[in-house]
Amino acid sequence: MGRFMAGRLLQAVLVLWGVSTIVFVIVRLSGDPVALMVPQGTPADVIAQMRHTLGLDRPLHVQYLRFLAGLARGDLGTSYVQDAPALPLVLQRLPYTIELTAAAFGLALAVGLPLGVAAGTRRGGAFDRLALPLILIGQAMPSFWTGLLLILIVSVRWHLLPSSGSGTPQTLVLPSITLAWLSLATIARMSRSAVLEEASRDYVRTAHAKGVSPRRVVVAHVLRNAAIPILTIAALDVANLLGGAVITETIFAWPGMGRLAVEAIQARDYTVVQAVVIVGTAIFVLTTLVTDVLYGVLDPRVALAGAPS
Amino acid sequence: MAIRILAALALALTVAAAGPTMTTGATALTVDLQGDPATLDPGRQYDTNSYDVYRNIYDNFLHRNPQTSAIEADVATAWTAVSPTEWHFTIRNDVRFHDGTPLVAADVEASLARILDRQFNSPQYANFSAIATVKATGPDTLTIITSRPYPVLLAQLVNLSIVSKAYMQAHDQPYANAHPMGSGPYRFAAWLRGDHVTLRAVPAYWRGRPQIDEVTFRTVPETATRVADLQSGRAQLALGLTSDDVKTIKRDPKLQLLGGATERVAYLAFNALGPGPLRDVRARAAIAHAVDAASLIRILLAGYARSVTELLTSRHFGHDPKIPGYPHDLAKANQLLAESGHAGGLTLVFTTSPTYDQRIIQAIQGQLEQAGVTVKIQSYDFGTYLQKIQSPQHDWGDLRYGQWSCSCLDADGVIYPLFHTGSIWSSYSDPAFDKAVDDARSTLDAAARRAAYSTALNVLQRDVPAVPLWEVVALYGADRHLHWHPTVDEQLFVADMALGQ
Repeated sequence: MGRFMAGRLLQAVLVLWGVSTIVFVIVRLSGDPVALMVPQGTPADVIAQMRHTLGLDRPLHVQYLRFLAGLARGDLGTSYVQDAPALPLVLQRLPYTIELTAAAFGLALAVGLPLGVAAGTRRGGAFDRLALPLILIGQAMPSFWTGLLLILIVSVRWHLLPSSGSGTPQTLVLPSITLAWLSLATIARMSRSAVLEEASRDYVRTAHAKGVSPRRVVVAHVLRNAAIPILTIAALDVANLLGGAVITETIFAWPGMGRLAVEAIQARDYTVVQAVVIVGTAIFVLTTLVTDVLYGVLDPRVALAGAPS
Repeated sequence: MAIRILAALALALTVAAAGPTMTTGATALTVDLQGDPATLDPGRQYDTNSYDVYRNIYDNFLHRNPQTSAIEADVATAWTAVSPTEWHFTIRNDVRFHDGTPLVAADVEASLARILDRQFNSPQYANFSAIATVKATGPDTLTIITSRPYPVLLAQLVNLSIVSKAYMQAHDQPYANAHPMGSGPYRFAAWLRGDHVTLRAVPAYWRGRPQIDEVTFRTVPETATRVADLQSGRAQLALGLTSDDVKTIKRDPKLQLLGGATERVAYLAFNALGPGPLRDVRARAAIAHAVDAASLIRILLAGYARSVTELLTSRHFGHDPKIPGYPHDLAKANQLLAESGHAGGLTLVFTTSPTYDQRIIQAIQGQLEQAGVTVKIQSYDFGTYLQKIQSPQHDWGDLRYGQWSCSCLDADGVIYPLFHTGSIWSSYSDPAFDKAVDDARSTLDAAARRAAYSTALNVLQRDVPAVPLWEVVALYGADRHLHWHPTVDEQLFVADMALGQ
């Protein structure tokens, strides 16, 4: 376990370095932020002077070394646009994204998993026939449409929940339903097929033959074995949710990291884009690590050492 | 029982949905902005969202009358140009910053000096760069010396917000930005980046206590959500609405639509210096006559725009009512195309960015199609778009759409940067035009300036480097109890607003 963790941490550092180098180059390929920071009519010499003061006219390798030195100290630079250190700007938005993602993921799991399991255990039954089209509709509805529809019905027509903003539990309801919608369908579909696959195995027939109650067969045997593919999809979904939160955050004026990323990209605010990508990568690496550890917990056949057994 | 629980839950949610609560009797206003204020430091600001918020925290050096557009006293009470380059100002002696310290001429000096400091990197540097020295000559007197006669100095000083010299010296830049402290009608209360800024009225404000006690500026990037916020009562004022939202707002008896004429002018600019067919003035004139701006206003903008015949509104200094513009005339367009050797039609590249209303770009493409002109639209993100059209090689394509505002209501801030030889926005060059606009910016004599701008506008009418399209109308949605008249310079002064019953 110790060796496994050490290896994975080293990998994580390499991934972070690689990703930050790629994002450093890509944001600079996109062009210069200074032209976007001045009013119309600003003469070229004033723009050039600003570029010089910000250090953007220095050779790329000089800028890169400064960036790496800052990265090693945990200093990701100052936002050109917001006039504040980039990393705290991102970290201030992170709890909002985590709150929204966690709520959406919890909702998707709480509804999607039982839905998929129920549909899988009663294959071809009325419930399965009803659940499948619902799942498909869920997957076909884009979040900008679901979100606006929810706002129109729940906020404008019924006046039940706030149409936008953050800060109270009520403001979390509509964005998390919107964000959960797609994941819910994915988790339900995956659980259904995983349960179906396990249900046809010999050990299930044996359990039934032994007289184990159908509920116990599903909960204690089928679900335990179906957990690995469901966990894989669910873990990947957390990353999808983090990425997909951009649209939901924009519609509901939720002050999350996704919106900050889009605004920073549009303004070519290099330092903030870099900070968002680095923090996002760290979260993704961490999620993957937790998933791998959970594999071992759920299935003793998975060895964490990574060495051939 | 279950019904009772559901009813209680519904009630709780309804109460929560009503939004921020205020002390009984106090008046609160929520404003939905399109974007997040990037900074609340007036010297570092460049975006309109920041401007909308911080202008309420700080006092301004001069004020523009929203009705007459005349420049009037604010913190500065009197001014005189003792020579073409030397200005003397007197300022009020009863203004106090929110920390209780008095506002004196040294604060005005410091506010300008930091913008002029090249290391400070103010995006507003270009607006004030003609100022050579600024000096507080007493507690309430100030002298500004310009490096050349600078006729738009007063117009630019309307945009100057005054910061406290002592406060800026006592705190570092990020702190001063995150905790703005001014002398305006509202004091800073809270700022959650990406979400909202809250300001509270200053009871002892020198102009009198504002009617609205608390204002919250929220960042709501999606237009449909801003409209939903108005409909659900979460906001009382929403900015940046489009003609698509007009019907929804008008249909709702709780809401009102506020349309404000602005100083922004929409135009179609040509690349007269590039390698394309629009080097020929006849081809440019043909395009100008093929565009039907009146139809675009009527159909796409639901009538919320005013036709113009030059790139200035009637409120701009230098506007010449005699400029005829280019009436829609397809026959004339075809004739001009034939004269320029394009009787069989021609193909043009329309360079643009999603920042601009793409419906307008596509409608212009359709109108030009009727004159036998094929238009290829090439769209780039705004940064790349700027880079392309500002390239000194003038290889950006043939035409582009834009909206111009100088926040100064003076021809100098519009036609000089758009068309003067060598300006980064200009893909046009004419010595007579250059001389006229250079003459106009080198004297304070208003009559001489008007005459020079008239000459310049006549050159533009002849050479067609751009087609003036319309004066932009800013659309706001508001609660019907809000009393407010939008201003030409799109200032969002909450102290000028009131919420009735």
